Amino acid sequence: MFLKHTQIAPTMVSKLLTAAEAAARAVPPAFPLDATVAVNPFLGQTGEDLATASARLARVAGAALTPPRAELAAKVRAGIITDDDLVAALIAAPSAYKQWDLAGLKERMHAATPAPQPLPTLADLAARATGTDWPAVIARAFGLWAAGHFDRGQALWTPRPGQSAFAAWRDWASHALTPEIAGLKGFCAHVAEAPDTPERAILRAAEGLGIGPEAAETAFHRLLVDLGGWAMHARWILWQAELNGGSDTTLTDLLAIRLVWEEALLAHAPAVAGDWQAVLAAHAAPLAPTPDQVLDAILQEAAERAHQRGLAGLLTGQVKAGTRPVLQAAFCIDVRSEVFRRALEAQDGRIETTGFAGFFGLPIAHRAPGSDEAEAHLPALLTPALTSSADLSPEAETDLRISARTRRAWGRFRQAAVSSFAFVEAAGPLYGGKLVRDALGLGAKGFALEPAPRIEGGLTAAQKVQTAAAVLRAMSLTEGHARLVLLIGHGAQMTNNPHESAYHCGACSGQTGEVSSRLLATLLNDPETRAGLRAEGISLPADTLFVAGLHDTVTDHITLYLDTPAPDHAADLAQARAWLAAAARAARAERAPRLPGASPAGLMHRAADWAEVRPEWGLAGCAAFIAAPRAATAGRNLQGRAFLHDYDWQQDQGFATLELIITAPVVVASWISLQYYGSVVAPQVFGGGNKLIHNVVGGIGVVEGNGGILRAGLPFQTLHDGERAAHDPLRLSVLVEAPAEVIAAVLEKHPSVRALFDNGWLHLFVLDGGRIAARYRPGLVWESTAAGARKAA
Amino acid sequence: MTDLALSALAPLPLLAASLLFLSRPGRRPGALPRLAEGATLAALACAAGGLVQLLLAGPQMMPLGGTALLRLDPVSVTMALLVAFVGWVVVRYARRYLDGEAREGAFHGLTLAAIAAVLVLVQAASLPVMIAAFVATGLVLRQLLLFYPERAEARRAAAKFIRVWGAGDLALIAAAVLFWKGLGTVDVAGLNAAAALPLSAQVGIGCVVLAAVLKCASFPVHGWLTEVMEAPTPVSALLHAGIINAGGVMLIALAGLVQASPGAMAALVMIGGFTALFGALVMLTQSAVKTALAWSTVAQMGFMLLQCGLGLWALALLHIVAHSLYKAHAFLSSGGAVQTVNAIRRPGPVAVPGPGAVLRSFGLAMVLYGAVAAGFTALAGEKSAQALALGAILIFGVSYLIAQGLADAAPGALTRRTLTASLAAALAYFGFQVVAQAVWGPGLPAAPVPGALEWALIVLALLSFGLVAFAQALFPLWAHHPATAGLRVHLANGLYLNALLDRVIGGFRSPARS
Repeated sequence: MFLKHTQIAPTMVSKLLTAAEAAARAVPPAFPLDATVAVNPFLGQTGEDLATASARLARVAGAALTPPRAELAAKVRAGIITDDDLVAALIAAPSAYKQWDLAGLKERMHAATPAPQPLPTLADLAARATGTDWPAVIARAFGLWAAGHFDRGQALWTPRPGQSAFAAWRDWASHALTPEIAGLKGFCAHVAEAPDTPERAILRAAEGLGIGPEAAETAFHRLLVDLGGWAMHARWILWQAELNGGSDTTLTDLLAIRLVWEEALLAHAPAVAGDWQAVLAAHAAPLAPTPDQVLDAILQEAAERAHQRGLAGLLTGQVKAGTRPVLQAAFCIDVRSEVFRRALEAQDGRIETTGFAGFFGLPIAHRAPGSDEAEAHLPALLTPALTSSADLSPEAETDLRISARTRRAWGRFRQAAVSSFAFVEAAGPLYGGKLVRDALGLGAKGFALEPAPRIEGGLTAAQKVQTAAAVLRAMSLTEGHARLVLLIGHGAQMTNNPHESAYHCGACSGQTGEVSSRLLATLLNDPETRAGLRAEGISLPADTLFVAGLHDTVTDHITLYLDTPAPDHAADLAQARAWLAAAARAARAERAPRLPGASPAGLMHRAADWAEVRPEWGLAGCAAFIAAPRAATAGRNLQGRAFLHDYDWQQDQGFATLELIITAPVVVASWISLQYYGSVVAPQVFGGGNKLIHNVVGGIGVVEGNGGILRAGLPFQTLHDGERAAHDPLRLSVLVEAPAEVIAAVLEKHPSVRALFDNGWLHLFVLDGGRIAARYRPGLVWESTAAGARKAA
Repeated sequence: MTDLALSALAPLPLLAASLLFLSRPGRRPGALPRLAEGATLAALACAAGGLVQLLLAGPQMMPLGGTALLRLDPVSVTMALLVAFVGWVVVRYARRYLDGEAREGAFHGLTLAAIAAVLVLVQAASLPVMIAAFVATGLVLRQLLLFYPERAEARRAAAKFIRVWGAGDLALIAAAVLFWKGLGTVDVAGLNAAAALPLSAQVGIGCVVLAAVLKCASFPVHGWLTEVMEAPTPVSALLHAGIINAGGVMLIALAGLVQASPGAMAALVMIGGFTALFGALVMLTQSAVKTALAWSTVAQMGFMLLQCGLGLWALALLHIVAHSLYKAHAFLSSGGAVQTVNAIRRPGPVAVPGPGAVLRSFGLAMVLYGAVAAGFTALAGEKSAQALALGAILIFGVSYLIAQGLADAAPGALTRRTLTASLAAALAYFGFQVVAQAVWGPGLPAAPVPGALEWALIVLALLSFGLVAFAQALFPLWAHHPATAGLRVHLANGLYLNALLDRVIGGFRSPARS
């Protein structure tokens, strides 16, 4: 690229562009709602601790990263947080933060904290100077453009495809007159004269606005925060591109766009230049947490220690397993399965359940019947290696496609300009019937009974064996198989909810776990697989049958998929169905009281109700991740708040499975827990807003009300029942039953995962015999917590 | 005294239930939401009772003192049934949807009051009653739009709404005064029976048309309607299904009077037709589902005013009923847009029809129209020129469905299915039109025999709708051409009329200073 910069030195150019890149990476990705997964909103801040990240987000977003201090103080008053917790949190705080003793802490605890204010943008300053609400004007004008640009099929008339965001916006903004009508004279000309690449636009703006390299990173971050979910959506585009080995510049395009606005507003309100210099000086100042932010971080740590104390009291050692179980059932580690597993085990002492990530280790992209689109069914951190599709005859497939295309043609008929009038006159009266049907909740179809999936191209015998062995080892399920083994994925049945995929399986990229569990069951029942497994040292009893299932987390109903004929297991299946039904009743009885307006029997209706904004609580409440044999947690009521991953370190040769657990399921769980955390403590920045005024945009997300800024994250109604919060914001406590030094070795090998623990975004404990033995401290240090704990490096 | 029309009682259970919420305006007001739904069912039963009375005893009038209060006729009972039905759906929806909101009880109380006011409005037998109901509806709806008063956008939308709505009320008050002076009556029946129209009455009719244009959010005062998604979804459903068409209901109630003024009718055709095309084109560019639905309402209300202007009163009422049911459902189910958009992408690229296919589809559509229209004419008698023109406009729309199936890349099975769907659509709407004409036609004036002005307007409407229909069928061929990029920008911004209105009312000002 040939840049002509008379005043900007090359080193300055590279520093500014590096700052732009850093600002872009400070923004978390937001996945589109058709297949959304939880993302750690602090993905760009994992190299900092909570207090420092608080300082950063206060500067750029006006957000606090801890709950209101009054809430934490109330927990202390109520005795939920004890003095011991406070002292322990104080001791654990970095020495630079130790400004108080216990008494001082408790005294300061009751002082009110002012809400943090973000540093103003030029739009804010210009608004104060001119009386015109420029931030709102930008949000509306930018939101209208972005909605069209990122639209995936809502509008019939979308912008010309194939343009970069910056080029498309220049086209748009040099025509759109709204800013000029609002009073920004000459804006179209200003845009038309803007540099033609985003880099040059950023550099010209930085020069014109006096943004130096020291101020640039947080000044740029500040502007991206103003674009809310749009910036996060652009960050997702970058995420996907990098996952596939490519790159993408949409996010820097958006920064350039926002900077073009800032230039125009400085020219419009030159009187704010003085104030702007002060803002730049504040951006250039090094980031350091205020005493208030440090204090709040310590109180938050104390709240988490209080929770861990409760957990330690519950985990009192392993219970011994008996003889060969009559039924084994593998569930997703999702916290919602904890309730059901407990209920199922309670049906009979000979039932065993295990937990594993709900994609069951198969890296699948699945093509639904009648669809061209292969949708990922695996954790968002991974790329699909296999493609599967429905086992359908070509005729049936064609038939489905023709139906889908006819529906689409009818939909376009409904939407297009002149035909929309014909549509209303021809079909409008029929909607009276649809209104009655949906008002009474009679329209719900339930989970469609899809044809069995199969892997496209098939697998060779060697691949089958290799895949099966890897999955069984990762599940710690290499011996002691029952006659019937259920592999149960999960999904949530609901109606008319834009966030539906957020309730599905996070390990399956926001799809249900049906496809993955059915593929694995078929693979493990395959005689070729069975034959080869013996050579791998895994012997599956000949009478063991694997059956896939799907757990509906709204109704607790479990659908079983009998893809392999098994006449010999009819009795086992009948018994299993009876147990599952009884367990479902127990689970419903446990869950319903927590859901507003629900009764155990009414959950089926809830799934079908098009007006239901809280079909279930999703993963609200999640607070712990336990990787251990089920014996460590069996019989304990973990209240649906723990991810339970079965893991037996003594079977784990070379600790490859431990490495996998710490780098994949633990990271996914941390994303979930921190998404809840961020959505609760900073709802304006990381929350999804109010479902009652959500307006689905472009098929990718929601805006509130008329339009404007995209809202990513969890909506208010998924976190709160109106009277009580449904989620207590706590950073996740990870408990692993394995030798401490082995865990430390895994962390040493994966610095990005280690950063999560070193900076306190996750807590880590070693379990020994089912009891908490040691706590991880930054720098690969273990702090013994109980008698008999192993000492480790 | 006359008999009491049961449908006239429909607002009472709603008002009674609404008052109960005064004591429980907050969160989770016990069994009251269930009671609210019961009240809407009672209102629905009252409206149904009115229908039975109408069938048994014919139209009635409820006077109070000297003035007519409420009326019972096919139009009023249709609207009462429609409003009570949509009211039931909306209140039932809100029972779950609003659960746990800080102002849950207030929401239910206001919603019930709004439905009650609209029930009075659609049955009003005189202008004072109608005006009072309009004012009440506006005041209650404003409070609903301000359900989240902390949102600046909501305050802006409410400010726009109440100004436009209030201007409509003023226009209607002016009309009532003029009618009183010129015709000596403000009763709906008396006005419709007026033989000769003095100048003041002519001006009054102009005011009525102006009021309808304001109430129906026609061009150029449509802006407020595209911004009222700031209130919870059930409010949008109620507004778009029950309230926005009140201007049309008023015109139909005064059909005999309005039709006596060719100028007013011509104005309705021009404003309505333009709004229909304008709104429909803007809708194409909107990527937010509720916003697109709002623009669609602007267009549909314009189309309804066009029907009124053509003197096709029964069809206009059919359009109101059909649109209400469709739009209430569309808003309440708008949360499914994520899945809908996903389903659009799944079957792969859309087959694009070329100019040849589009011409063939128009030809086929005309053949279809000829056959179906001839069939229905044989069954139901001659149609007016206006009705034939309207049928042609609608069949232009159907040609789009046929064109999609005729695209070269479309497989034969798809062609057959879209043709079947086109035939079903054509049969359905001609069927509904026959029913509408049979049910409401006898009580409404017949379309006027077209003179030069009417013919000119008919040709203008046919040409403009035909042109847009042709362009729409060829849409994928030109929509992404750089030459049309600017047009798309201006349309997506609604030709800036809303921004201009914002400028006038201070909608761009910072909240703290306004």
